[in-house]
Amino acid sequence: MSEAVVGTRIEREDGWGKVMGETHFPADVNRPGELYGAVLRSPHAHAHIRSVNVRAAAALPGVAGVFTAENVPHNAHGVLFRDQQVLVSERVRMVGDPIAAVVAETEKVARDAIARIEVDYQILPGLFDPEEAMKPDAPALHPDSHGSSNILYHLPIRRGDVQAGWAKADVVVEQEYRTQMLDHAFLQPEAVVAYVDERGHLVVKVATQYAHYDRGEIAHALGLKYSQVRVKTMAVGGAFGGREDISLQIIAGLMAWKTGKPVKMENTRTESFLSHSKRHPMRLYYKTGATREGKLVALEAKIIGDAGAYSSWSPNVLRKAAVHATGPYEIPNVQIDSYAVLTNNPYTGAMRAFGAAQPVLAYESQMDLLAEALGLSPLEMRLRNIFQVGSVTATGQMLTSSVGMTKCLQALTPYLATKGDAS
Amino acid sequence: MDYFRPRSVEEAVTLGQSPGAAFLGGGTDLVLQMRQGKVSPQCLIDVHNLAELKEIRRNGDVLELGSMVTFSELSDSNLLQDSARALWLACQTMGSPAIRNQATIGGNLGNGSPAADAIPALLALDAEVCLRSQVGEEVVSLAVFLERYPLLAPGTLIWKFLVPLRGWQSGFAKLGRRRALAIARLSVAVALKTEGETVMDLRVAFGAVGKRAFLSPALAARFSGRELDVHWRTEMISGSQELVRETLKTRASAPYKAVAVGGVMHQALMLLQE
Amino acid sequence: MNIELRVNEQDFRLVVEPDERLLDVLRERLGLIGTKEGCGEGECGACTILMDGKAVNSCLVLAAQAVGHELMTIEGVGDRLHPHPLQKSFVELGAVQCGFCTPGMILSAKALLDRNLQPSEEEIKEAMSGNLCRCTGYDKIVKAVQRAAEEVAR
Repeated sequence: MSEAVVGTRIEREDGWGKVMGETHFPADVNRPGELYGAVLRSPHAHAHIRSVNVRAAAALPGVAGVFTAENVPHNAHGVLFRDQQVLVSERVRMVGDPIAAVVAETEKVARDAIARIEVDYQILPGLFDPEEAMKPDAPALHPDSHGSSNILYHLPIRRGDVQAGWAKADVVVEQEYRTQMLDHAFLQPEAVVAYVDERGHLVVKVATQYAHYDRGEIAHALGLKYSQVRVKTMAVGGAFGGREDISLQIIAGLMAWKTGKPVKMENTRTESFLSHSKRHPMRLYYKTGATREGKLVALEAKIIGDAGAYSSWSPNVLRKAAVHATGPYEIPNVQIDSYAVLTNNPYTGAMRAFGAAQPVLAYESQMDLLAEALGLSPLEMRLRNIFQVGSVTATGQMLTSSVGMTKCLQALTPYLATKGDAS
Repeated sequence: MDYFRPRSVEEAVTLGQSPGAAFLGGGTDLVLQMRQGKVSPQCLIDVHNLAELKEIRRNGDVLELGSMVTFSELSDSNLLQDSARALWLACQTMGSPAIRNQATIGGNLGNGSPAADAIPALLALDAEVCLRSQVGEEVVSLAVFLERYPLLAPGTLIWKFLVPLRGWQSGFAKLGRRRALAIARLSVAVALKTEGETVMDLRVAFGAVGKRAFLSPALAARFSGRELDVHWRTEMISGSQELVRETLKTRASAPYKAVAVGGVMHQALMLLQE
Repeated sequence: MNIELRVNEQDFRLVVEPDERLLDVLRERLGLIGTKEGCGEGECGACTILMDGKAVNSCLVLAAQAVGHELMTIEGVGDRLHPHPLQKSFVELGAVQCGFCTPGMILSAKALLDRNLQPSEEEIKEAMSGNLCRCTGYDKIVKAVQRAAEEVAR
């Protein structure tokens, strides 16, 4: 690509198909003779499954197959750890966990059949508070995959000597911040079409952010070779991180493989909300110190991210949160501890900024509070601490180029002088 | 399931006798409820296109609104804008443009939602509702009608609304979580007449406070016959807050709505036309 | 039940269920897949079509209710040889990202431009207020509608 495109307007090559309504998203794909799949999901956040009775569902006219955990050859998937089941066998860990799937001649029959499946749940108390879940005596949610603790990940970052930092601080601000869980709410609900092609290979058409990973996960779960699975990415109707994990790919693939018929599945908006990952709610405990001159001297931060029921990308997200915990400010003495904690909340994973968004609330609020305490303008407080070429970050990285923060803030100065009145 | 498209109100009412019949207006609520399995009529009687039910007209000092008039049609009506402002305001903010193009005022009442946008405005404007059934016609004050449980006897068609034109000023405001497509968390409609500076015939209605929209005779009595000035407005605001607090009692939404209604009332009063 | 629908100036005779949504009939029976389902409850506007020139949510209308009305879906708005000014401006101004909201956006905008060739920014936002874009491209979408209005007026 020529550098001349920067700053110019380029027509996207997929634009014309989209404005004409020609573009095929997965729900727009149909195969002759296709069956329709639907999933039964848990209404409980934490439960032991005593039994699943599918007899009434299987007996419904038009039903071509009913699937439970025992029909999945290798019942596990997950981007970092395979700690999530395709269909849950014994332990439900969140509302929306898939229990059983039906494939039928029509969507209506499939959904009617789902309603006839009887699941005997033994409801267990849920762990919804990550700080409760961190305690050593909290019941372990994933003893097999993650051991006796619900702390999935801990990243400590240490730079300098925080005790020495506090000794130099004239002002210390200590605050707790909390961010909420968010859904990507991409506009196109998950949909998939799976079929066995003329070579006997399983083809899965899906809107995904991660086709090569999907392929490996489908092959693994179904006990197939990579070469037997082909994932074809259709137009993706928004994703924002929410299509990095497996959604319906394996279930549809399983049903197509076992029935030999094309299988289509589409989530309703409600099913979409119930089944895909969310943005991590974080609790951020911040203690920041500065000198009278407005120089930052110490930071202690504890960040606790709620991973929900499954790990997904949580370690990476909380790593990113930790790396960004100082913000774009140079602090010589730093102690950061970042945790990802398993709970019975909806599982959390990738979403725009991938863990870098949440700490902003904390570190920028701290800057404002310090500025206020020191009688400096919020702008001045930042200019005195902002990363420059030559700055060293909390993780020890020396910044050598492309550090544009000062220039950026200077460009904003006239605007800020009007207190945000652009006119 | 059967589906009928009657050519007249007569025929619609006759068909309405079928077991499990439901009248279908714009469908924006009913189609969704059927899909969600909340209702399962055995027979749909589609009246949304019946010309007799689609009229907006002035008949002497009464405004007649057919039940199948859409919210867009009401929003576009100069007659409504000039003479029934509270209702006109309510119609501007209901749903989205696409919903307003399809949803009808009769459906808004028949659906029975506590948050129905048009109902507080119609209450404040002292509207009557005209019903048709096999038994015949019935004209009943909307305030009285809203006390019926269930709201509609089987086979009863909401035929039209009669809004008296008494030269009232009226206003409406609602609180939603966003500007478009927001189901009202609270709505307030006010209608009044002034003689000189004195408020006469005040009527105040609330939506989304309790199961159905309602008029407050207490507020009407307390604030009629007084001078319309800044004190009056301030006391109306605090009066509405007391009323909502008493009405919702220990409901979870009470602490929020009992405060928020003050702002909604303020806005409704600001929108009273001169 | 037997119905006749007029879609994109073509007449179709169809056998449908009385409770079948217009959205499903358009997509599954007529293959008009440009009309999308995003929420199924009239919140997102991805299923917007025009009925007698007015925007409606095809997920909230029964196919049987559309009888006797003139329907237009995105497939009837223009084609690659003769794109509607809205289709052109959406591509040229980058108002298309994932594209899932695009057909509904264009139809809501068309309903506006068909009755108002000089819409203000506020009027455009109001006309599009029932259409959600999650790629957050609203600014470009509004600009594309303004550009198309200028072109139609010319």
